[in-house]
Parts: sequence; C-alpha cells; structure tokens
Amino acid sequence: MRPRLDALLRSTTFRLAIVQAGLVLAFVVGLLLYIYLETAGQLIRDSDVLADQEYASLERAYAEGGIRRLNQEVVERAARPGPMLYVLAESNGAVITGDFQQLPALPGESAQRVDFSFDRADDNGAPKHDRARGREGRLLGGPILVVARDLGDTAVIAGRITRALWTVAVFGLALSLVSGLLAAWQASRRAEALANTAREVMAGDLSRRAPVSGLGDEFDELAEAMNAMLARIEQLVQTTRTAGDAIAHDLRSPLTRFRQKLEAALERAANAEADREALRNAVEEADRLHEMFSAIMRLARVEASANWKLERVDATPILRELVEFYEPAAEEQGLTLHGEVGDHLVVRGDQGLFTQAVSNLIENALKYTQTGGRVELRAQRRADGRIEIDVLDDGPGISPGDRDRALDRFVRLEGARSTPGAGLGLSLVAAVARLHRGGLHLRDGLGDGERRGLSAALVLPALEQAP
Amino acid sequence: MRVLLVEDDGDMAETLKASLSADDHTVDLAGDGELGQSMALNGGYDVIVLDRMLPKKLGVSVVRELRDQGVSTPVLILSALHDEDHRVEGLNAGANDYLGKPFSTRELLARVRALWNGRNREPQTKLAVGDLEMDLLARTVRRNGKKLDLQPREFRLLEYLMRNSGQTVTRKMLLENVWDYHFDPQTNVIDVHISRLRSKIDRDFPQSLLHTVRGSGYRLEG
Repeated sequence: MRPRLDALLRSTTFRLAIVQAGLVLAFVVGLLLYIYLETAGQLIRDSDVLADQEYASLERAYAEGGIRRLNQEVVERAARPGPMLYVLAESNGAVITGDFQQLPALPGESAQRVDFSFDRADDNGAPKHDRARGREGRLLGGPILVVARDLGDTAVIAGRITRALWTVAVFGLALSLVSGLLAAWQASRRAEALANTAREVMAGDLSRRAPVSGLGDEFDELAEAMNAMLARIEQLVQTTRTAGDAIAHDLRSPLTRFRQKLEAALERAANAEADREALRNAVEEADRLHEMFSAIMRLARVEASANWKLERVDATPILRELVEFYEPAAEEQGLTLHGEVGDHLVVRGDQGLFTQAVSNLIENALKYTQTGGRVELRAQRRADGRIEIDVLDDGPGISPGDRDRALDRFVRLEGARSTPGAGLGLSLVAAVARLHRGGLHLRDGLGDGERRGLSAALVLPALEQAP
Repeated sequence: MRVLLVEDDGDMAETLKASLSADDHTVDLAGDGELGQSMALNGGYDVIVLDRMLPKKLGVSVVRELRDQGVSTPVLILSALHDEDHRVEGLNAGANDYLGKPFSTRELLARVRALWNGRNREPQTKLAVGDLEMDLLARTVRRNGKKLDLQPREFRLLEYLMRNSGQTVTRKMLLENVWDYHFDPQTNVIDVHISRLRSKIDRDFPQSLLHTVRGSGYRLEG
C-alpha cells in the first residue's frame, strides 16, 4: 500500500527532516552574515579609514592655506580617478565645488559619519544611482566638507555573494525537504508493512508475520520482536484451542454417561436402593468432571503465566515428606517406594506447584507399576550444578517414539485407557518444569528387556550451591 | 449453633441453608456483602460462611473489616477461585478456613463443625479421648496407660483427630491441616495412613476409637 502524502507530512521522519531543513537554513544565514562581515563589512571599514584620512588631510590644507587652498585641493582630488568623492559647500549648504551637486545632509557642529545615495553619470555617461559612505563636517569658519567613498563596486560584490548564498540556501532547503520526504516515505512504507501485519493478525490470520528486510536496522528489530510475540501468541491460542477441543472431547463422554445413568434411573420403577446407588454414581461422576476441569484450568494457568511469583524452595524436606506420604499407599499396593534424597537441594520456584509436580510423578509411577514392582525417587545435585529429581519405575514404560507425545496435554497412550486419570499428569509436570526454567526428561527406567520401565526426571536450576 | 450464610446465588443459598439446617444449625441468610457484614456485627453468630464473590462488598473485604471491628467469629470462605494465592489472601484477611467450589455438602458441614469446635481453643498441653491420652509437651501417646509408639507424622495426624474428636473430619481437611497439601492425591493415600494409625491405637484394645464415616471421612470418638 502506498503511504498517502498527508500521512507522510505528519510522520516523525518528515518532521525530523523539517527540523533538519531549518538547521540548514540557520547555518546558511549564519554563513551569509559571516561572509558579509568579512567582505563587505571590511570594505566599509577600510573606506571609513580612507575617508577619515582624506578628511584630516583636507582639514590640514584648510588650516594651512585657507579656503582657496582647500578649494584647489578639492578640485584636484575630485578630478582624480578613483572611488573617492569630494564636495565643498558654503556654510548654508550651497555647493561650491565637488563630485555631486547636493549635500547628503546639513552637518551639525562636529564632523559625522554619513552614508547616502547619490546620482551621477557612470563611465559611459549613463546616469547611475550609487551608494557612498564617508565623513561630513563643518570646518572652522563655516565651509562644509564631505569626503566619501563610492560603495558601488562593494555593494555589487556583496550582492553577488548574497545571491549565491541564497541560491545555495534554497537548494539546500529543497534537498533536505526531498530527502526528508524520501526518508519518511521509506519509513512509513516499512511501518505500514508492520501495521498491515498487525491488521491481518487482528482479522484472524495468526500465521501472518511481519516482513524482515535483512538490513538489521531498527525496523528489522521491531519486526523480529513482533514476530516472536506473534509466535508466542499463536502458540498460546493453539494451546487454548487444543485444550478447548480436548475439553469438549474428554468431558463429553463422562457428561453423556452422567446423563444416561440419571435418565435410566428416572425411567426405572422407583427403587430406593437402586436410586441411591444411581445418585452416588452421579456424584462421583460430577467429582471426576470437576477434577478434570480443575486440572485443565491449573495447567492453562501455569502455561499462560510468565510472571509467576517464584521463591526460595528447599526441596529436600518436601521430597522426603512426599516419599513418606506415598510409601504406605505403595506398600498397600504391593510395591516398594524408596527415596534417596540429597541434602540441601534448593530451587527457585512455587512450593505448591513443585510439590504437586513431584507428587504427580510419584502417582504416575505407582499407577503404572504392577504388584511386586518398585518405584524410586532419586534427588541429587548433578555435576553441572542442576538439581535432578528422578522418579523411576519398572513398569511398562513409554517407547522412545511416544515420549514427546506423552508430554502433550490430554494424550493418553494406548494401553493406558483403562487406568483412571485425565491424562494431564505429565503435561502438568512439564509445564511446571518450564515455569521453573527446567525440563522434564523421559528415559528408560528400572526395567529391562520387555519391561523397560520409566524414568521421569525433573531437572531444575539450583538456587544455591552446596555449602 | 447459629450460622450466618452470606451467598448471593439464590439456588446455592437455599441448598446450603437446607443442608446446614438439617445438620441442626439455625441459619440466617444475607444476599450481599454489606448486609452480611452488618448482620455479622449485630447478630451474635457462632460461625460465618461467606462467599468470596459477593455484590456490594467482596467476601475478603468483609472479613478484613469484621476483624478490624473486633468481630472474632470464625469465618469460612467459599470460593470458585481456589488457587494458592487466593487461599492465602483469604486466610491473611482473617478467615479461618477456605473451601473451593464445588465442594461436597459433607465437606462443608464437617468444616463448619470444626470451626465451631476450634473457636476458642485454649493452648492445651494434654488431649484425651476416652482412654487415649496425648501429652503435647512430652510428645507421648498412651492408651489405657500403655505407651504407643508413633511416627512424627502419625502423631500430627492423631493430634488433629483428637482436637476434633467426636466430629467427622474429611480427607481434604486432613491433607490440608496435617500435611499442608492443597491438591487431591488420586490414590487412597490418606486411607492407608489412617489404617496404619488405627492399627497402632485400636488393634490391641477391645473398643475402637477411630471410625470411618462412609462417604465423608473419619471420626475419633471415645
């Protein structure tokens, strides 16, 4: 899309170009002033000095030889070629002799600087309007003397310089405006591309990405940041969408079952005991639905939150207590649960989520391990300083190809269908691991041969080094 | 006992009121936070059950202001928001217990009774239920004069049951109060802990003290 002119004129880049043009103008005016002072100004100062010298010399001639001598000197000097002008007048202002016929002004008591225009014939006899500058004064006894320098040539030179500078100024101004417009156009074009991407995303196409020119400039930086943001948003939306689908899918069957059971109970002839049983089942079903829903919400909350409040969590007592908590249940199930927890394992995290994540791993292991099997929790500081909490079992395990999928939410692998659970366990642990800037790694566990067993290791950065 | 129920959802309020009444409580109902607060100030209730999301004034604000006004009636907050943060916020405001929705009626009734029971608990050094005696200072338990050997966690579990003797305590209450766990384990972990405790305190004696209440939880009774 082509940026419109009025939008260009409003753009920041163009405003900067205007400021730049203003600076160019100010610079040219300053330069003009400087050159003028250095050239024309110097000429004027020189002519002032010259005029003063001539005036003083004529004043001396008058003092020595009176009006006759002065008159003679003036006539002689006026006849000489050169830029100097001389006029001698009577005390009433009537011109006696000189280069022009009228005094610029009647002088006061003392000599003064005069700057005036006068008409005269140029070298070819044509009339010419000229500017002159010099000294005018009343001599002792009344005659008026004017000595001036014709500034005609100087003014011409100054005029040329000025014109040249103005031309440069106009070109400079035009150039900075055009370059400003070009820069603004270029900037708006790229800003417009970013805005277009944003609009397309708003219109619902989350897969759109801002173009990156490859120049590595600030627009590229902005586009890349925007693209990263869009990728994250797309991922979150995708997660939500998947969750929504999965909720619909996974909640639909228990809800249907729930409804059918109640309906069947209603249609049957009243039977107090059977009705009570149906109601009990309904309550259990409702609890399961709720449990699943809570698990989904919890997972969504952990995944969506980038700024969860994390604190110092001493994992050692928590892990030992969890082993102690589950040990009797494991024994009841005909399993052994054994814990090996190192001292002083400290992480930065959320105690509630951390506890729940590890408890999910233990429950998962207990659930999939057959009678006579064993489950172990090994927690230690690794050589790289990270803390590894590994829950191992000798159950069926997960084949390497299925491991990534096992961490996806709602995925329940084949063979796990008959066991209860929402299929959220491992994905919640993985999400909690990410929140703690760690990861969940699945490997072969304690089994061998056909029964590979599963090792689910939560690896988290340690908050404190060993004392 | 007299229970003040502050709940704005009409159906929910009626159901809860019916359940509490059936459990021998006298129930007054308030439909918003402001009314609930003024009734709590003047009513002389034994327990207040307060919804978190209330019109006019939020449940958490009501508790905080009641505590500032010197009302020490035990408060149970009911909330659809039961993340750790919300629970801690409610307890910090001065509530005595926090129960997430949806909950079972039995859970609610058990907790209301436990609140009433613990309302003005004085620091005790000895607990006794029937011929079972617990010395909290010496950390010893005797039944009929015979010393019983308990693990530290079993001791905590028994202590909680003894403090709430004669009343039903739910699995959730045990999880929260004895282990400080605020999630639901999927297996029958609590039941196994209870049966281990039971084997220690009841097995060698003719009379059983620790009873299972079907569908609810457990009760220790002499």
